[in-house]
Amino acid sequence: MSTVPELDPVIHAQARLRVMATLAAICEGDRLAFPRMQQLLGMTAGNLSTHLRKLEEAQYVEITKTHERRTPATYVALTCRGRRAFEDYTVALRALLPGDDPSEEARR
Amino acid sequence: MESAEGSTELSAAESLAVIERQRAQVGRELDVNPAVLYAVWGLAWALGFGALALTAAELVPVPLWVGGVVFAAMLVAAMVITGVHIARATRGIRGVSAEVGAMYGWSWALGFGALAAINSALIGAGLTEDQVALLWPATSLLIVGVLYLAGGALWRDRVQFGLGVWVLLTDAVSVFAGVPGNYVVLAVAGGGGLLVAAAWFATSRGRAAVR
Repeated sequence: MSTVPELDPVIHAQARLRVMATLAAICEGDRLAFPRMQQLLGMTAGNLSTHLRKLEEAQYVEITKTHERRTPATYVALTCRGRRAFEDYTVALRALLPGDDPSEEARR
Repeated sequence: MESAEGSTELSAAESLAVIERQRAQVGRELDVNPAVLYAVWGLAWALGFGALALTAAELVPVPLWVGGVVFAAMLVAAMVITGVHIARATRGIRGVSAEVGAMYGWSWALGFGALAAINSALIGAGLTEDQVALLWPATSLLIVGVLYLAGGALWRDRVQFGLGVWVLLTDAVSVFAGVPGNYVVLAVAGGGGLLVAAAWFATSRGRAAVR
């Protein structure tokens, strides 16, 4: 029996997965403003903050607070570690798909 | 599983679907849609240069200045729609792509600014009415064509690059067509070319996200 790859528990929770997937879709070198993230995910500010805090604890996201025209602004991006963790996570997911045939893995 | 989540654990297939859905949504909302921009400018050129062609050739019982007003209105509308679309798409993004985009956007403004100064100086030095009528579209499309080449190179967008080549070609041919032939060439080949690009980007192959 082949070993079942462990799914990263930090990422494998529906809301946090959506947060990670959204940040992974942003080009490397870019960061996303908190309000725009809220709008993309359809989450309340408190909800999103909670998920981001957990991801930040795991060092998967980097949160930068800055000022724009005297109003505070918060920007979020994946860290290198976070990007790698997300890539590993997706590889692990694909390995878990039923019908473990080589053609499916070749399709990526 | 956290009890705060409430829901049952997602299967592998469901998780991959969630990831794909987010990727597609980000692509839809954050990327500038080339179909929209090419459609808007294609129409502006086709209708604007078309109006100039009809009034300059006196094919309609309407004075030339009306054609000029239609053309100007088309340009303003296209600029406004372009500005709003890009602002909405790129809202809340900072970093590399924002800096690249800003410099590219400034290229348009600076290029046309210099163009206006140069053309005004040339006209002031003395040109015939026909020469002025050829000068403005010809030099403007030169900038458009070159910036499409640059944009194509910048974002590895072969369609945009090809469009740049087409615009430059159309531009050169239009000058040799004289007035009002140049307007016809620009409306049909120029506007038409952009509309073809818009249609291609609207197909499913064109819509395949970069992300």
